[in-house]
Amino acid sequence: MKKAVHYINQFFAGIGGEEMADYKPEIREGLVGPSLALNSMIDAEVTHTIICGDNFMGTHTDEAVEEILKFLEGIDFDIFIAGPAFNAGRYGVACGTICKAVKEKFNVEAITSMNEENPGVDMFKKDIYIFKGGKSAAKLRDDVKKMADFANKILNGKKTGSADEEGFFERGIRSQVWIDDKKTAARRGVEMLIKKLNNEEFVTELPIPKQDRVDIAHPIKDLSKANIALVTTGGIVPVENPDRIQSASATRWGKYDISNLERLESGVYKTIHAGFDPAAADADPNVILPLDVMKEYLREGKIGKLHKYFYSTVGTGTTQKEASRMGKEIVEELKKDKVDGVILVST
Amino acid sequence: MKLEIGNFYVKDVLFGEETSYKDGILTINKEDALAFIKEDEHITDVDIEIAKPGENTRIVPVKEAAEPRVRPDGRSTFPGVTGELEACGNGRVHALKGVSVLGVGMHYGSFGDGLIDMGGEGAKYTLFSKLINICVVADTDEEFERFEQQKKNRAIRWATHRFAEYLGNTVKMLDPETIDVFELEPVLKREENVSKLPSVVLVMQPQSQMEELGYNDLVYGWDMNKYLPTFMHPNEVLDGALISGSFMPASSKWSTYDFQNFPTIKELYKEHGKSINFLGVIMSNLNVSLEQKKRSSIFVAQMAKSLGADGAIVTEEGYGNPDADYIMCIRALEDVGVKTVGISNECTGRDGASQPLVTLDEKADALVSTGNVSELIELPKADKVIGELEALARDGLSGGWSYDEILGSSVREDGSIIMENNAMFCGDGISGWSIKTMKEF
Repeated sequence: MKKAVHYINQFFAGIGGEEMADYKPEIREGLVGPSLALNSMIDAEVTHTIICGDNFMGTHTDEAVEEILKFLEGIDFDIFIAGPAFNAGRYGVACGTICKAVKEKFNVEAITSMNEENPGVDMFKKDIYIFKGGKSAAKLRDDVKKMADFANKILNGKKTGSADEEGFFERGIRSQVWIDDKKTAARRGVEMLIKKLNNEEFVTELPIPKQDRVDIAHPIKDLSKANIALVTTGGIVPVENPDRIQSASATRWGKYDISNLERLESGVYKTIHAGFDPAAADADPNVILPLDVMKEYLREGKIGKLHKYFYSTVGTGTTQKEASRMGKEIVEELKKDKVDGVILVST
Repeated sequence: MKLEIGNFYVKDVLFGEETSYKDGILTINKEDALAFIKEDEHITDVDIEIAKPGENTRIVPVKEAAEPRVRPDGRSTFPGVTGELEACGNGRVHALKGVSVLGVGMHYGSFGDGLIDMGGEGAKYTLFSKLINICVVADTDEEFERFEQQKKNRAIRWATHRFAEYLGNTVKMLDPETIDVFELEPVLKREENVSKLPSVVLVMQPQSQMEELGYNDLVYGWDMNKYLPTFMHPNEVLDGALISGSFMPASSKWSTYDFQNFPTIKELYKEHGKSINFLGVIMSNLNVSLEQKKRSSIFVAQMAKSLGADGAIVTEEGYGNPDADYIMCIRALEDVGVKTVGISNECTGRDGASQPLVTLDEKADALVSTGNVSELIELPKADKVIGELEALARDGLSGGWSYDEILGSSVREDGSIIMENNAMFCGDGISGWSIKTMKEF
């Protein structure tokens, strides 16, 4: 039989309320409080219950997480369940924190449950499965059942459904599915429009997520002393493309030494970007990576220094996540090399 | 304007003595057909193969698809492309249904080319697996682009259109089995019971982002890169006024077959006079620079407003950069008080965690999603390949690759493949076919 471990707080373990919220992490063999309900519904044996005070987890987070992960090192388990935490804020954050840590360390699915008003939802919904739970412990059995039903699908190797089918908070992971009634996009669009025209309720298939904006940087005070770097998503690379950067949906980037060059020569550099007509860039790569102009600025004293490398990848079809990862990796290098400003050339 | 599409339902396609249509059987004299296709001196080698639904056949690289059609009155099927430039959208056209002519590279593929599996697991990914596909498999003398990732594919695309008309000739003088009628009165001369209904326009954004001519969609033979939004009759779209280009990743493409059968137009027709007053189509385009994008959105919003539109559906042939045109156009329409729905696919990455469209705007509050371009698809070997399988990995198809440190090559030695949905031919059915949507997981 598969095995599960359950995390609960000091209150549900029957240890005490607010006065016992500094209770240090403890692991017990067998069932405590809500674990009984969980054990009766899940297709696994709940072998251990972990208990921790909500304050202790909140104020000594690193210590608490480390201690609990140490408890689990010697234990064989297939799934990790925490809560339900209802609308209890600190308990919710604790469940989210420990689920995320356990999932990362042991690579098992971690499931919890909270009410939509619990601050733990927004903090952790992208990392773990958080089921939509009731406001108070009156919903304990219902909330445990939702988690157990889903856990059973995972434990039995069954396909799990979408966030709204299963009842967990959306994790920001969007995937294509075939619609059961085979209603075409054309029909769905026309029906949605008729509802919108008639001021009836309609459901968009793509709710617009919150914008992820980066603050605009402060201006450089004295450009003539600044170290400036060139970075591009226009796919300029040495003709042999030594880093094998993909022409679309890129996951790789490269950096190339330009300290001894005055300009990028055609035939030595080219673009591998597949999202635009490459003729102009191949004939003169400086139109995308303006090394020639930057060298002129350097001679004129407009900029203090031109960074020794340029950095390049391809933007077309590249996902936001990959772009963000590559950007962070490049920024790390630029910071290390004391670059003050970047000209990011897109296409 | 009144268009009658006379339908002939093809049950089977065979090679035989005489190119003809009888009792649902389309027979092709292969020798004659090859000679006809070779009349274009740029076609250096060509074969015709027939692929039927359910067969364990894989077709790649597919460049274009068209429904075989002909006009009994002698006008060209694709005005300005297969013959003289004439107005279309009015009168009679005969169509062979359930079949498409595919333009397939004998060897070489390009960025916008796609793949079709006729059977097995792969068949669910495109509408074209449900059609009998008459494949024109050709090589050309277009040496300037043979090893380019971006190809105009002019000779193969034109062969597709010409051959579609050639096959249409088999039913030129026959009586159709059924007739679909598409008719709209002039916008200002409609009965009161129609004009009192909420007025709706369809805004189409065909692919036109290549500044060098020859890659883009054509309207009446005209490259849509050099074009500003125009009011068109939906019948013109259904009747061969638009020709698909050779640039957009395959799953986001509108093939010529899509234009001829555009499901969103047909659904709007179904509601016309019942729940909406379908004014017509504002034919826009997709652009490169921000100023161009904005200019088109200004034209679209002005036209919609002046026509008195209460609502609009906006749909784009593409994803990525064109999302900027798409969202900007939706916002421009909402800003002038036109209630708008968008139809497009998404690009959320292989793990589904990326931003679905390149630009977002909270005014785009009614969107239909038709698929995820970056979904990974793994399929077993097919018994038969029409075209050249290696093209998927070698030639820079948008959903294929020759090397990946984890996934290896898109085409494996045992003939199985791994690819992104990007390269499924018209896989996201943005013209309205799609029975896919996007969900949160």
